[in-house]
Amino acid sequence: MRKLARYAPVLFGVLSFVFIFIVWEMTSRLQLINPFFISSPTEIFKVLHEQIISGELFENIGVSFTEFAIGYGLAIIIGVFLGLLMGWYKVVDYALDPFVWTLYSAPIIAFYPILVLILGLGKPTVIAITFKLAVVLVLVNTASGIKNVDPLLLRVARSFGAQNFELFFKVALPASVPMMIAGFRLGVGRALMGVVAAELFGSTRGLGAAISYYGGLLETSKMLASLIVVSALGVLMTQALSAVEAHFDSWRTGPET
Amino acid sequence: MAHVSVDSLKVIYKRPQDGSSFVALEGISLTVEKGKFVTIVGPSGCGKSSLLLAIDGLIPPAEGHILVNGKEVTAPGPDRAMVFQEFGLLPWRTVLGNVRFGLEMHRRKEIDLDDHAMKFIRLVGLDGFENYHPNQLSGGMRQRVGIARALAVDPEILLMDEPFGALDAQTRENMGDELLRIWNQEKKTALFVTHSIDEAVFLADMVVVMGRGKIREILNVDLQRPRTLETKDTSNYIEYRRRIRSNLRD
Amino acid sequence: MLTRIKTTSKDWLLRAKNNRLFISTLSVSIFVILWEVLPRAGLVDVSYISQPTRVLAAAFEEMFVEGVFWGHLYVSFIELAVGFILSLLVGIPLGLMIGLFRKARYFLDPPLMALWSTPRLALIPIFIIWLGVGVESKIAVVFVGSFIPIIVNTVAGIRDADISVIQAARSFCAKKRDIVIRILLPTSLPSMMTGIRLGLGRAMMGMVVGEMYVSTKGLGYQIMQYGEAYRMDQVIFYVAFVSLSGFAITNSARNLENRLLKWKEG
Repeated sequence: MRKLARYAPVLFGVLSFVFIFIVWEMTSRLQLINPFFISSPTEIFKVLHEQIISGELFENIGVSFTEFAIGYGLAIIIGVFLGLLMGWYKVVDYALDPFVWTLYSAPIIAFYPILVLILGLGKPTVIAITFKLAVVLVLVNTASGIKNVDPLLLRVARSFGAQNFELFFKVALPASVPMMIAGFRLGVGRALMGVVAAELFGSTRGLGAAISYYGGLLETSKMLASLIVVSALGVLMTQALSAVEAHFDSWRTGPET
Repeated sequence: MAHVSVDSLKVIYKRPQDGSSFVALEGISLTVEKGKFVTIVGPSGCGKSSLLLAIDGLIPPAEGHILVNGKEVTAPGPDRAMVFQEFGLLPWRTVLGNVRFGLEMHRRKEIDLDDHAMKFIRLVGLDGFENYHPNQLSGGMRQRVGIARALAVDPEILLMDEPFGALDAQTRENMGDELLRIWNQEKKTALFVTHSIDEAVFLADMVVVMGRGKIREILNVDLQRPRTLETKDTSNYIEYRRRIRSNLRD
Repeated sequence: MLTRIKTTSKDWLLRAKNNRLFISTLSVSIFVILWEVLPRAGLVDVSYISQPTRVLAAAFEEMFVEGVFWGHLYVSFIELAVGFILSLLVGIPLGLMIGLFRKARYFLDPPLMALWSTPRLALIPIFIIWLGVGVESKIAVVFVGSFIPIIVNTVAGIRDADISVIQAARSFCAKKRDIVIRILLPTSLPSMMTGIRLGLGRAMMGMVVGEMYVSTKGLGYQIMQYGEAYRMDQVIFYVAFVSLSGFAITNSARNLENRLLKWKEG
């Protein structure tokens, strides 16, 4: 009996989705809402099946994923690098901060036409937009991690004769890892959004492009199919990163200090 | 020659934002003989921690000198090691990793660091816990790690900044006994900062009473070692305590 | 923070290096100067990045000469306001309900998580199909963007309520209803405000991008139009405007948050 209680959340979760799907299907069949607008789970399932067989689904996923990987990867490399610099050297922080903030708050999609002009249609532009959306979060969290290192630990290291670079590599860097990973997790969500949004605007391949294309053709089922795949991928990635974060967090939580 | 010699020390803190300054220590002079246990006692803000940090070489003197073995102190060095009030353990390292830390900083390549560290882990009674992380240990255990870390670098002088301040009363007493046992065995010169008069008298050969950045009195404590619970009942002990308390009161 | 003293001749350098305003202004000024000068010197093509002077001219033209700016601003504002208020009306009660009733949480959490993990910009096309190309679809985008942080943060606020305070209340014979109204609600307020502030930011972005995708009027629409005409000066003007208003709005939200919550420690 107790085991059942532990799995209650999962159980309810699954039930919840099942319930939603059933209601959805019924609503569609009974024409309570015009199926044109909302399609139905069975329709979408059929579409997904077709797309898997024709290879279209995997092609789209592949394209989107590649763009995501490159854009996100770049964001991590540059974000961590600049974040560490900004966190460790106050001058760099003060100098770059206004630009970081501007980059964060300005809707990059606005520069889409210009980016296309400079980088070309399709993949490069998408990658650029993905990069931009993710990099700020990684950067800010990394910098924050370094800035918030417990000064006591730095003092301890200095009292044992640590030099500046040792202070950085042996104390500040390890201490900032949890926040860095939090930044990675936040960056994933935005990077994914960037890929899809950028594709919406003018790619020919990829999940976002599919959503836009079928949306334009008013092919609701096909559009929703891609949308659901995007959603599922988003959930998967967020969960995966939460697990990684929890692992690294194991040395943080604990009894009172 | 005295082991540690402080001469007319003055320490000033300056705030980078507005440049205002604040005198933490003024005219501090004292000498510590080798192998002695010296406690520094005083109310909060009297500068006792600053004195320790200056001797460790972490903050520079504005005036005056600090000499260890006759040589001037300018930076932290392998002859001194410090134990901190809030432990200062690296949370991502195990107990073993933490005790090794000082040795790594001092680049002691000629010995096996893990072996050496284990010796001191055993010395402080944490045998079996070497693979634990600090967050799995109690306060008293964490401080023992701090002590082991400091001892592992084999310093001549052990500096302790209110090491038991973050512990509960019961643990404090036990740790005090432990510390004396270890000190007796390792034969270091010890400087111990506390705001507890009891602790100050019980542990020390010499008590430095401080107030508002200056030394008010230096007391030689002539009680027999090993110090036990009974020591606390002797009239001498009570007299020392009274003197310090009245000194701190004005 | 206290630090070591330095010799007085280097004092001003230390002070300058530590002065955030000074360094920031300096670096931004250098950037603006370069931005203006490099195209003039012919080193960078001005049609790619425009110039500060041109942007200002564009702003003037848009706001006062042609006057079209205000119409678009109005539309965007309406979309933002209606969408956001809707998200408050739905999000807060829903958040409270989920926070208070554990069963509700198990049931509603997974779909909400799925919705949160979905890039909401991907929902734009479906909203267009459902609601057309007018303001309604943008309102929907705004709504979806902001109501999720509001719910999530409200729930978190309730779950973090201090048990000892609740126990104390119970020991004084407080009834369940009292506890909800007098303790849980105020306790969840800070988190709720954070959620509202976050929601506001996401709402703005949703509005702009939604308009850029498909619309007939609005700031985003203008951005898209000028973008496709490669009028970088106007694009930058509009983007700057959106950025700055976003900053102003979130800042006031944050100030409000701080003022309302002076009692909240740490």
